[in-house]
Amino acid sequence: MSDREMARQQDSETAGTSNLIKRSQLVTLSSRQRVISLSPYLISFIALIIALLLSIAIGAVAINPIEAIKILLSRVPFVHLTPDWSATSETILLSIRLPRTVLISLTGAALAGSGASYQGLFRNPLADPYLIGVASGAGLGAVIAMAWHWPSSILGFFAVPIAAFIGALLTVAIVYKLAQVGRTTPVTTLILAGVAVGSFATALTTFLMLQSSNEVRRAIAWMLGGFALGGWEPVIAILPYISIGLIVLVALGRPLNVLQFGDDQAKQLGLNVDRVRLVIVIAASLVASAAVAFSGIIGFVGLAVPHIVRLLWGSDYRRLIPLSIIGGAAGLLLADILARSILAPEELPVGIVTAIIGAPFFLWLLRRAKLQAFW
Amino acid sequence: MFRKSRLILIALAVLVGACAPAATPTVAPTSVPTLSPTVVPTPTPIVLTDGLGHTVTLNSVPKRIISIAPSNTELLFAVGAGDQVVGREELSDFPEAAKQIASIGSVYGKINTEAIVALKPDLILAAEINPPEQVKTLQDLRLTVYYLSNPTDFDGLYANIKVAGQLTGHDAEAQKLIDNTKARYAAVVNKVAVSSFMPKVYYELDATDPTKPYTTGPGTFVDLLIRLAGGQNIGASLKDQYAQISAEEIVKQNPEVIVLGDAAYGVSIDSIGARAGWASIAAVKNKAVFAFDDNLASRPGPRLIDGLEQLAMLLHPDLFK
Repeated sequence: MSDREMARQQDSETAGTSNLIKRSQLVTLSSRQRVISLSPYLISFIALIIALLLSIAIGAVAINPIEAIKILLSRVPFVHLTPDWSATSETILLSIRLPRTVLISLTGAALAGSGASYQGLFRNPLADPYLIGVASGAGLGAVIAMAWHWPSSILGFFAVPIAAFIGALLTVAIVYKLAQVGRTTPVTTLILAGVAVGSFATALTTFLMLQSSNEVRRAIAWMLGGFALGGWEPVIAILPYISIGLIVLVALGRPLNVLQFGDDQAKQLGLNVDRVRLVIVIAASLVASAAVAFSGIIGFVGLAVPHIVRLLWGSDYRRLIPLSIIGGAAGLLLADILARSILAPEELPVGIVTAIIGAPFFLWLLRRAKLQAFW
Repeated sequence: MFRKSRLILIALAVLVGACAPAATPTVAPTSVPTLSPTVVPTPTPIVLTDGLGHTVTLNSVPKRIISIAPSNTELLFAVGAGDQVVGREELSDFPEAAKQIASIGSVYGKINTEAIVALKPDLILAAEINPPEQVKTLQDLRLTVYYLSNPTDFDGLYANIKVAGQLTGHDAEAQKLIDNTKARYAAVVNKVAVSSFMPKVYYELDATDPTKPYTTGPGTFVDLLIRLAGGQNIGASLKDQYAQISAEEIVKQNPEVIVLGDAAYGVSIDSIGARAGWASIAAVKNKAVFAFDDNLASRPGPRLIDGLEQLAMLLHPDLFK
């Protein structure tokens, strides 16, 4: 039985009880008709490519676009170019700007993908990647590592991001465990446990920060702007988690669609609700934790990008998740470009830009949708 | 349940495993000398070990220095290396001439690596205010970085001045600055030693919440300067270096002198006296509440001696007539 057939069956069966779902299905269909000629994938891919190019072209130091293209081409196998560009441009492009661009794309993709999945899982428009403890747990882990000076220990410079990653995953695991009622894990309990554990972790973080006053500035800098280590190492470290996690989430589009009918109906439709929920929580938390570990706690992307995609192209999770991933990468790249050019050579934490520019844009889209029940 | 925890354990193991190979090569590359020895064939390269234990080798006197901390900018100018500085951290506002130098971003935001590389520095002077990851990022780009640890006392400051002189080819000026600072230091300490009066001092860092303002605890330069200037820091009993102290405790301690490190943010004797209960404090009653340039005490640079002299004058005005 296809998703649409299920939706129809759903509509006829529970006409009164699931008004919201019915409307969201209708909107999905109508918006599908609206943009049928322009493939959403094509549009979002073009947006991503433009963002990638801008991110490589714009920076504190101006690099001639032709020079930049030559430098990039020279690194492609079997292309031989005589270097007529400056070594400085090459260093800036290949060792600073390119890894940063890739890291930011991965982070944006992870946050938006995870946000879209959480919104589907919790059936809650306010859900974001940090809802059940990723941010507070990562913050606690990072601050523990900083307070105890782990960077000088055997883990070296990766102590802080590893501690943040582990802190985030452990916190989500604790939340999940606490939320279990018998054999199931109701989403409401999960959200409430997430809020409670999150507050607890945040309080511990604040306490530790005050106790180790010398590290406060570093801790705040990490939360706002992430890790100060540049180069390719952070990219290599998070790539496996984010790519595996995102592939899993993309594959879960159909079960997420079914979950929108509510737990009971989803079970009747043959979905192993608890297992799907667990897999989504693991995959979404994994990608969000990996992103946060190096990029700090960047707000709004994980919340707004899935909604923007939903407003434009509907709520079918088979499409919503991959489009959110592409859109998240493009969106965070654009925010990062602004963050480093507004006050150049000073840099703003990208999280500030995502909210300051992203919130009005999101609100404009929301108004333009003429208060259609898009959710 | 067990399966869940096992999954998470596996995830963690994979993470540590994936990060380990990435982390290992990071330890090896310390600063590589970027200067080509053909430029100036000096027989004796400058070789020094920095605060992170890295050996820093300079084959000739650096001509393009970037300071990535305000205290370092002051230090470079103080030893006469100001002309060699081509880039400065945004908050480096002293001396006046430093403001003319290109900024490479602020330590409170992010240091801009691209701007640093574009300036083609032959030496970057870092300080403890720069996170170690930042230092490593610069070293990975094959830039020469010297990490200057914060001094904990005046001897440490002399050592830092000496290093700044050695790194920049201004050994003689550095020695002159050290001798001069030592003389000024001795003058203050000798003068203060005469007095048996040790006023209790409250140093205010930030009173955004006046019921529990931030003050400086033990181990800070403010604490050291207050002691050397012949005072007792009421924050010395705190556990942390920078901590909030209860207004009740301040009233109870009844400091004889209040030093406003936050005067630049509009705090004055009037605003202090208006705080509930503060009018009864001896310092407020006797109008011994003074504005103070916090940069003199919070930046571990050459102006610490100015801070010491000014504090001594505030605490013992009779001795410095």
